[in-house]
This record gives sequence, structure tokens and C-alpha cells, in this order.
Amino acid sequence: MAEELVLDTAIRDWVLIPLSVVMVLIGILRYFVSKLMRSSQVPDVKIVKEGQVIVRARNLRAAANFIPAKSFRARRFYYSNEENGLLFVPKGQSQNAQAQMFSDPNMAMDMMKKNLSMIIPQTLTFAWVNFFFSGFVAAKIPFPLTQRFRSMLQNGIDLSTVDVSYVSSRSWYFLNLFGLRGLFSLILGEENATDDTQRMMQMSGFGVDPTKSLGAEKDGLDIVQHDWALPKFEQRAESVLRKLVH
Amino acid sequence: MAGHDDSGSSDKKSSDAMDLPIFNAENLQSNMKVIYYSRTFMSIIGGVTAGILGFTGLTGFIFYLFIMAITSVGLTAKTGFSIRSYFDSWNQIVLDGFLGGLMSFVLFWTFAYDIVHIF
Repeated sequence: MAEELVLDTAIRDWVLIPLSVVMVLIGILRYFVSKLMRSSQVPDVKIVKEGQVIVRARNLRAAANFIPAKSFRARRFYYSNEENGLLFVPKGQSQNAQAQMFSDPNMAMDMMKKNLSMIIPQTLTFAWVNFFFSGFVAAKIPFPLTQRFRSMLQNGIDLSTVDVSYVSSRSWYFLNLFGLRGLFSLILGEENATDDTQRMMQMSGFGVDPTKSLGAEKDGLDIVQHDWALPKFEQRAESVLRKLVH
Repeated sequence: MAGHDDSGSSDKKSSDAMDLPIFNAENLQSNMKVIYYSRTFMSIIGGVTAGILGFTGLTGFIFYLFIMAITSVGLTAKTGFSIRSYFDSWNQIVLDGFLGGLMSFVLFWTFAYDIVHIF
């Protein structure tokens, strides 16, 4: 840093602080708007049923060692026998379910709403920042960076002589966009900005055939090695009690 | 992070005696969430502190490491120095959410530094 730039305090009062405050407020507004727009669609009975069966089978698999071998075998038979087990899927049905899921217009509509509630405020804020605050230095990051970061941090300023650690207002907007995610998770609770990325993941795995997961769960249940844990618990209890007595 | 975690802790303790994974997945997840929140909170507070104190360059990042270390120690103290009864392994308490908090730290560091020192 050869020479220090002197920044006008008006920039602080009218750019830096308002920009950050507006970003926070828009984040909160977006949260409530997306909460309002979330349509409470009636879930399909069949899909819910399958989901619950999977959850139950998973519970059985996780807690297999806490029930006697006989009980476990009976339960496993209940889930995975080849005639009328809950996890057993007849051949022809799998195609049908997938087609039905894709043809559901409500689902696509919901997805679009979520995306729109994410994109529109960002575009508007960016346009606002661009219109009012373009072309001057708004902040200075307190650590040095290499020239590579110039295009990232001085977006909108075409001066190659300014030190890289000075940040243009447009780039300050981007810094806010990424850095405020943590703050949102604190003030908005669990359904926050990070929730969006999770939703994206769900979307990508959206077309997955539910019957396929039934089959996978059935296979998982079939290969469970049952080993009843409670006899060992008696020994453990005995040792604990002995320790207490002595 | 006390209260409803107790069942998880007592369940987890029994796994010391034998090699059987016994833990409550939901409680474990809520514990992880507590780590994430406390790290985010500490990184924001630490960022503002670093900015007000006027740290620049490497000093600030060392301060971030220091803050994270304090958070880890605090969380460990909160578990009563028995990490195994709340988490899978001790490095979860040390490393989880480390990079996630860095962005918030840098933002608030810059913000406070600019307001106090640059203008």
C-alpha cells in the first residue's frame, strides 16, 4: 500500500451501511414472502404410505439388535416376504408411479415459485446497486490480496492503479450476498438461506422412482446380520453394579 | 445443548463397553446444529471485534483461529469434557463449520474495520 485513499464519510453513511442493512432486510423479507407463497399441497396418499414404510423399515434395521432373534425374523418377514410384504413391489407398478409424478403440475409450479422467490429479489437488488452506487470505491478489506482478485473485488471500476484491497460497491454487494448467509441462519432459524441449497439437492433427486428406494430398503433389511445385544447388557449392568458396590 | 440431549448421552456412553453403535441420530444432529450456530455466532462477533480493534492482514486471520479455538474449548466445557457422549469424534467439535464461518467473519471484519478506521 503505497498511498492511502481517503474515502468520503458520506460514502459510509449513504452507501456502505445502507447497502448492508438493505441486504439484511431483503433477506428477511424474502424469507417471509417465500413462507407465504408456499402452497400447502395435499400429498399423495400412496407416496406418503411408501415413505412411512421406508421409515419403519429403516427403524427396524437400526434397532435390530435390541429385539430377540425370533421377533426380528418375524418383522423382517412382515416387510420383505415375496407375496404380500410391505417392501415387496410387483413388477408392473414402478413405471406407473414415475409417470404420475412427472405429470403432476402442482409440483413443477411449486418448484418454479421457490426459484422465483430466490431470483427476483437478487436481480432487483443487483439492479438497484448498479443504478445508484456504480463506479466508486465503497470499502477496503483489511488484508492484502493479489492482482487476481481485482476483477472480483473491483467490479465496476476500471482503474488498474488502485490497490486491490479497495472494494467497489458492486463487489461489496457480492460480499454481502455470501457473507450474510450465516447471519440469516442465526436470525431466521432453521429454514434459512442454506435451506435453499438443500432444496436444490432435493430437486435434482426429484425424479427418482420411489419404488426403487423400497427395493433398496428391502435388500438392506435382507442382509442385516442379527445379533441380539441384550445378553451383553446384563453383563454390563453386572459390572457397573459391582463397581458401585466396591 | 443440555436437556433433551441427555438420552443421547446416556445411550452413547454404553457403547464404550462394547463395539455396538448406539446413539440417537436426531440428538446427534441437533448437537451438530448447536456447533454450527455457535460457530456462526462467534465468527460474527469475532469479525466485529477484529474490525473494531483494527487488525489487518495476517493478524486478523490468526484472530479468527483464536476465536475458533475459544469456541472449541467452550463447547468442550459445555459437554463437561466428555465429548464422546455427545459427538462421534472430537474433531467434529474442533473442525466443523470452520470454513463456513470464515465468510461471515471476513464480511463483518471488513464492515467494522471500514466504519471505524477507514472513513
